[in-house]
Amino acid sequence: MAPGALPAASGRTAPSASAASSPPPRPATRPGDYAARSRRIIEETPEVREAVTDATLLFDRKRRSAYAEIESETWRRWAEGVKNHVLARLDHYLMEAEARLTANGAHVHWAAGAREAQEIVTAVAAGASARTVVKGKSMVSEEIALNEALEEAGVKVFETDLGEYVLQLLGESPSHIVGPAIHKNLEQVQRLFAQRLGTSPGDHPDALARAARDLLRDAFTSADVGITGANFVVAETGTVALVENEGNIRLATSLPRVHIVLAGIERLLPRLSDLAGFLQLTARAATGQPLSCFVTLVQGPASAPGDDGPEEVHVVFLDNGRTSVLEHEHAWQTLRCVRCGACLNACPVYRQTGGHAYGSVYSGPIGAVLDPGRVGLREAMPLPFASSLCGACGDACPVRIPIPELLVRWREEAQEAGLTPKTERAALSALAGAATRPRLFQAAARAATRFGASRAGRALPMLGAWRRKRTLPRPSRPTFRELWREGIE
Amino acid sequence: MSASRERILRRIARATAGREAPDHPGRLATPRAPDPVAEFTERFAAAGGEVVRVCAGAAGPGDGRGGRRSAVAGDGGATSAHEGCFADAGRTPGERLAEFVAELAAASPRVAVGRGVPPELRPPGRIVVPEQADVGICMAWAAAADTGSLVLESTDHRATQLLPPVVVVWVPRSRIFARLDDALLALSPRLPAAVGLHSGPSKSADIGGTVVVGVHGPGRCVAALLDADAPIDARR
Repeated sequence: MAPGALPAASGRTAPSASAASSPPPRPATRPGDYAARSRRIIEETPEVREAVTDATLLFDRKRRSAYAEIESETWRRWAEGVKNHVLARLDHYLMEAEARLTANGAHVHWAAGAREAQEIVTAVAAGASARTVVKGKSMVSEEIALNEALEEAGVKVFETDLGEYVLQLLGESPSHIVGPAIHKNLEQVQRLFAQRLGTSPGDHPDALARAARDLLRDAFTSADVGITGANFVVAETGTVALVENEGNIRLATSLPRVHIVLAGIERLLPRLSDLAGFLQLTARAATGQPLSCFVTLVQGPASAPGDDGPEEVHVVFLDNGRTSVLEHEHAWQTLRCVRCGACLNACPVYRQTGGHAYGSVYSGPIGAVLDPGRVGLREAMPLPFASSLCGACGDACPVRIPIPELLVRWREEAQEAGLTPKTERAALSALAGAATRPRLFQAAARAATRFGASRAGRALPMLGAWRRKRTLPRPSRPTFRELWREGIE
Repeated sequence: MSASRERILRRIARATAGREAPDHPGRLATPRAPDPVAEFTERFAAAGGEVVRVCAGAAGPGDGRGGRRSAVAGDGGATSAHEGCFADAGRTPGERLAEFVAELAAASPRVAVGRGVPPELRPPGRIVVPEQADVGICMAWAAAADTGSLVLESTDHRATQLLPPVVVVWVPRSRIFARLDDALLALSPRLPAAVGLHSGPSKSADIGGTVVVGVHGPGRCVAALLDADAPIDARR
């Protein structure tokens, strides 16, 4: 057994875990540092922009072709309609799902916040005498910092999605909902695996994947508990639906004795007949596939003869700010989100930095409209401003969340709450003052044509940062009003 | 009942009170392929899966090709769909499959068999546990043409569906539904503890954007279509 590996549990062989020794602690990040972090990523790690741009443009191209094969507008409107229906009766459908899951033999838990969810999961793991846990990719588990809580409780955690595993070795968080490690290029993974798994430095991705597979296969067969998120929960049948391409979620929900599901309370669908549409639309939006390679539909623990699945299934319904989002007059629409990442792939701003710049679990356009409701606008600032408002995110969204409109609404709320920078508030109030006083406006316009925007840019701190990398055109010497008076030729 | 449960439900009720509650829009109408078998074959192969056809009883299109070399028509290509099949009334489909499996894996592959596979569809010879198998043989409950998916029940034994590097899944042609929605609804009165929808081999592009096949699940996934006149219609 390798140093640092765990002793065998329950008579099974523990994996040689040298490669998954405790990861370095993740640096605490917050949205407030967005500007500084973006600058640092762009200037100091240009390979991130290159890798993220390549990956997201490919995802986006595939998404567009996959939409073109179906009547995407009809599908998207249908999906929007189903989700709006669910969200208006969420309490009813949660109770139906709870009753159905319980009848199927699953245990249902409710967690108001991150700490409570951590406590529930660590208690279930302790009840199963768990030494090792295998995890499928789950954004909710990132939200509640589950790995840290489990490690603290003495449980070894293996991320089993290949991208997540790479990040676990590096002590990094995912930078994209679907492709957690898209900010890493091949050379970086080759170097990492050579150091940690003993592969050769120039190994092909096939060989690297094989090395990870061998190590994680041992983890799968020895783990006591499998933990996953939930893409959808069908109220009518108590079905937890999980989508993936690698097969790690199929294994994590099949081999360990206990399966724990972390489900945001908004994951509900009313009927089983809703599932096929949502599974297909999500796959098309996320990766351009007709369906993900593997879909797991879990109804409860294995009970029938021949079924080698888990003896216990626990479903944790998590709020963690979602009811606050639901209360918001407009932002409730973000709860339709199916976490496909299509808005990230379509976003020209996300493409420049990848997800880490945002300092939040949910990066890109969806994070910028979800987080102000989920964690509070003050805490989420300046994310609603991290967008050019080009509208591509709204066009890509499979459930038609009006992301650009919500970005503007959050900006207005930020302005009203005095959360925008003083310089910006001063500039906007000056503009408003000038716009309502024609003489002042004319004088300001004349002054701008004399001095030029470049000098103005140097004078104003906000514009100064903006124009550092840009050459501004000189404004026309006669103002528009002067031209108008003379008669525009 | 936990305090958090009550708190969450109360907050939801408060948030949604007075808000417009739209009706459910009904079922999504998606197109039905006129030939589900052809559609399934095309989709499954496009995702990297392989499709072979096994005839039993009556002569098939490949009849008289010299027969005994291969039990199942096809060239074993990694992503091709195989259209031919041949008749061999003297043997069970399971015996034919055994030869095909030998071609797929190794001279004497170690085989694991799902619990839902009926005797006549089992290859003869020694059976091993899935952890040691080169090939897993499973039985699909159904397949869906529009997504190119095999519908697998947990009662067939999950490890056999997932652990061997090559998995061959029997699918009676009569069990191929035009739409995933239809297949799931047909299954709904008797949903097992878990259902797996497998649409091709395991893959990932998480390392440098390069597609790698066979990451955690099977690297080769073969759908063995039993012709309509096969002795097996469905398992139940």
